[in-house]
Amino acid sequence: MTVNDDNRMEDALRDALCRREAPEGFAERVLARVEKRSFSRRADLHLGSWLGMFRQPLLRWTALAAVSTALIVGGIEYRQLQREPAEGEVAKQQLILALRIASSKLQLAKSKVQHSQDQNENQEEKE
Amino acid sequence: MKKLSWLILSVVLPVLAGAQDIKIPPEVEKLSAKAKETVEVTMDGPMLRWASKFLSADDPEEKKCAQLVANLKGIYVRSYEFEDEGGYTQAEVEALRSQMRGPGWRRVVGVRERDGDNVDVFFRLENEKMAGIVVIAAEPKELTFVNIVGPIELDQLADLGGEFGVPKLDPKSLPQAQKGDRK
Repeated sequence: MTVNDDNRMEDALRDALCRREAPEGFAERVLARVEKRSFSRRADLHLGSWLGMFRQPLLRWTALAAVSTALIVGGIEYRQLQREPAEGEVAKQQLILALRIASSKLQLAKSKVQHSQDQNENQEEKE
Repeated sequence: MKKLSWLILSVVLPVLAGAQDIKIPPEVEKLSAKAKETVEVTMDGPMLRWASKFLSADDPEEKKCAQLVANLKGIYVRSYEFEDEGGYTQAEVEALRSQMRGPGWRRVVGVRERDGDNVDVFFRLENEKMAGIVVIAAEPKELTFVNIVGPIELDQLADLGGEFGVPKLDPKSLPQAQKGDRK
């Protein structure tokens, strides 16, 4: 190694180690990145705590049962709503039939009474 | 004290029994097994209201029908048609009739004919207002029981006829039977 070589190395080291000012806005960018990372970690922790609740078997089964019940009840209600018009039509026909029968039997009673009155009147006329 | 309790019970129970709904006796219900044709309609208040929701307001007949049943508490019909005569006994008819012997009931029509056509019409009165009607028609091959529960005015009752192709019933033609009239 020559003296010139030593000088070149010394210059390179001095150049590399000399103090330089950071680029403009560097500190703000670093702080913003740190803040963003810490918010994301907090959100992960929050979500983790909610989901973590379902790690307990009792809560997991309760939730499953609640969802199943809601689905079954909803299904029954939906089916009932679909069936209602058809059942309502049957009920209406039954109601009309009941009124028809009531009406016809009242007419029968009336005609019997009328017939009996006519017979009595005829008998009185003969006498 | 015991005697007083018995006295109260003996007064209250018949009143309660009179207020109870008419029941179809089991021996009458069993007639469906022997009948050629059976009509059984059982409609209590909520069922009537639900069924009347499906009556069309555009159809004048159905509209009248809806108005008629609006204040009713129930309609119960049993009609049995038999192949031959003697499908039912007088005991079964009597089981129906005997329920209208309680207080509050008035028989307005009672027809007994030799050919076997027997018709009874009973009104249930509450404060001298119509609160129900029962019709029992015992014909040779047919037994029909109709029980309409609820406040019905005579003109509303007449509106039962005249609809569905059946001639109108004139309430004035019904005889005014005396209270407690029995045959």
